[in-house]
Amino acid sequence: MAIQIIKNGIADTIQDMGRYGYQHLGIQTNGYLDYLSAKLANFILGNNVNAPIFEIHFPASSFYFTSNYTICISGANFVPVLNEKSIPLHTPIEVKKNDTLQFLKPLEGRVAYIAIQGKIKEESWLNSHSYFAKRIQKGTSFEWESFTSLSNLILNKKDLLTCEKIKEINSFVFSRAPIQFIPGPAWKDLSEKSKKVFLSSEYHIGIQSNRMGYPLKGALLQLNKPNQYLSSAVTRGTLQLLPNGELMVLMADHQTIGGYANLGQIILVDLPRLAQLSNQTSIQFMETTIDTAHKLYQEIEKKFIHRS
Amino acid sequence: MKTDFENSNWQLHALGDHAIVFSLEEKMSEEIISKIITFKKTIEAFHFDFIKDLIPSYHTLTLIYDITLFYQNKIASENNQSIIQFGNFLLTAFNIPSKNILTEKTTEKNTNILVEKIIQIPVCYDVRFGIDLENIVLKNKISIEEIIKIHSEETYLVYCLGFLPGFAYMGKVNKTIQIARHASPRKEVIAGSVGIAGMQTGIYPMNSPGGWQIIGRTPIKIFEKDPTVLGKFSAGDRIQFYSISYSEFEKLNEYK
Repeated sequence: MAIQIIKNGIADTIQDMGRYGYQHLGIQTNGYLDYLSAKLANFILGNNVNAPIFEIHFPASSFYFTSNYTICISGANFVPVLNEKSIPLHTPIEVKKNDTLQFLKPLEGRVAYIAIQGKIKEESWLNSHSYFAKRIQKGTSFEWESFTSLSNLILNKKDLLTCEKIKEINSFVFSRAPIQFIPGPAWKDLSEKSKKVFLSSEYHIGIQSNRMGYPLKGALLQLNKPNQYLSSAVTRGTLQLLPNGELMVLMADHQTIGGYANLGQIILVDLPRLAQLSNQTSIQFMETTIDTAHKLYQEIEKKFIHRS
Repeated sequence: MKTDFENSNWQLHALGDHAIVFSLEEKMSEEIISKIITFKKTIEAFHFDFIKDLIPSYHTLTLIYDITLFYQNKIASENNQSIIQFGNFLLTAFNIPSKNILTEKTTEKNTNILVEKIIQIPVCYDVRFGIDLENIVLKNKISIEEIIKIHSEETYLVYCLGFLPGFAYMGKVNKTIQIARHASPRKEVIAGSVGIAGMQTGIYPMNSPGGWQIIGRTPIKIFEKDPTVLGKFSAGDRIQFYSISYSEFEKLNEYK
């Protein structure tokens, strides 16, 4: 009655919405890199949309099922194969006892999710299942308490509205419109020239990217003052300016505080888009407001409600 | 977006779409961190369900909120309030304690004086643990005995936690034993190691890479995963170190 890891990936973990309420103790939040794709896979299976789920990077782990489950894969397309037969994303898949799931190549995106229908049988720590500084390891296995849900029926009946919503959310995550941010406390310390440069240049993600942060490669920026600040809390999406003029976006495994120039924060709905960008794709940044960000966030949240 | 608040030096700034930050003058000062901690307690007394985290650090208090829950909250929905207006409301509550928006309980606490809690931490300053003591001896022209005396004489205030779960940034270290961190960090610093970095001192809660100059080791666990224990320190706590021998360290060692 389990899902076994039979091959190690480079950085695969279990994640949920993260661990909040303990950052004042220096405990990081962790959580999904791309919360929209993660929620989508859970949504399709009729799970709680914030349920813990496998987060997969490429090269990915391989999985072996010791009993029947219904699973759903979302996010990056790493060409998933079940017993060497290709399977689609965003679709409930019935897996049988002795099936193996592998990922062949990174076709699009950086982070894939595997949701399992039901509930994970693992203890949480401080109200979250999110892993930190630990990966899922070859030889370990995870148990899920399965339940059947109505959502399969919804999808099998080809509920148009649900299918439409899935398509909308996924195309949003993989869209290349500018990434929106809200200027932060140190934005005012950026030279006027650097502000213009940042808002008009293209950036791409550096190869050193990981769950802690994504370095941005592109035009260097300059402050009007030394890049030294008393450490203060940072968030996922914080745009830090490093002393060498390079930018770093803090991601899900960021430390709780930081002492570099805090230029701004990427808004929540655009973080999945950044999380999925390939190293080759360049992207621009665009200033936005709290109001706009909140409206976008709430609009997308509404899509995750099943029609009753 | 930034607000200079009436009769005070508080500033309020958005930190993206799910956090706001209240700040005072950017300074490592006891008075400022005390105000920050008192403000944190004032906000906590309201028990708002949409507040996910309140993170104090030197001169700032950062409030992380849940967008959905914020708009479902009475304060936001009934008054059509934005998160910035809500932040200003909190500042009002803090700065004008006589107003009825505060419960009596909160008013009492709102005195800008920290309830002091001094935590005593044993440290073995043996050179087998204090692997950078010699650096300070050479650079600062001071004996090991004096370093130990000066380090354990002061009472330190916790200004923030970060870097690792339970890692407390404490200050201020006496000028005579201040030393810059290593130019490149060590691959591994052992859990319990006590270090100095400029005017700050701290303890590594777990084995980790680190650049602080190590002067000793505590046998006491600083962080435990057990939810009833977790970190030993919070911002605003006062810490005093006392020197123990190598054999006492062995006896007290909780890392075995």
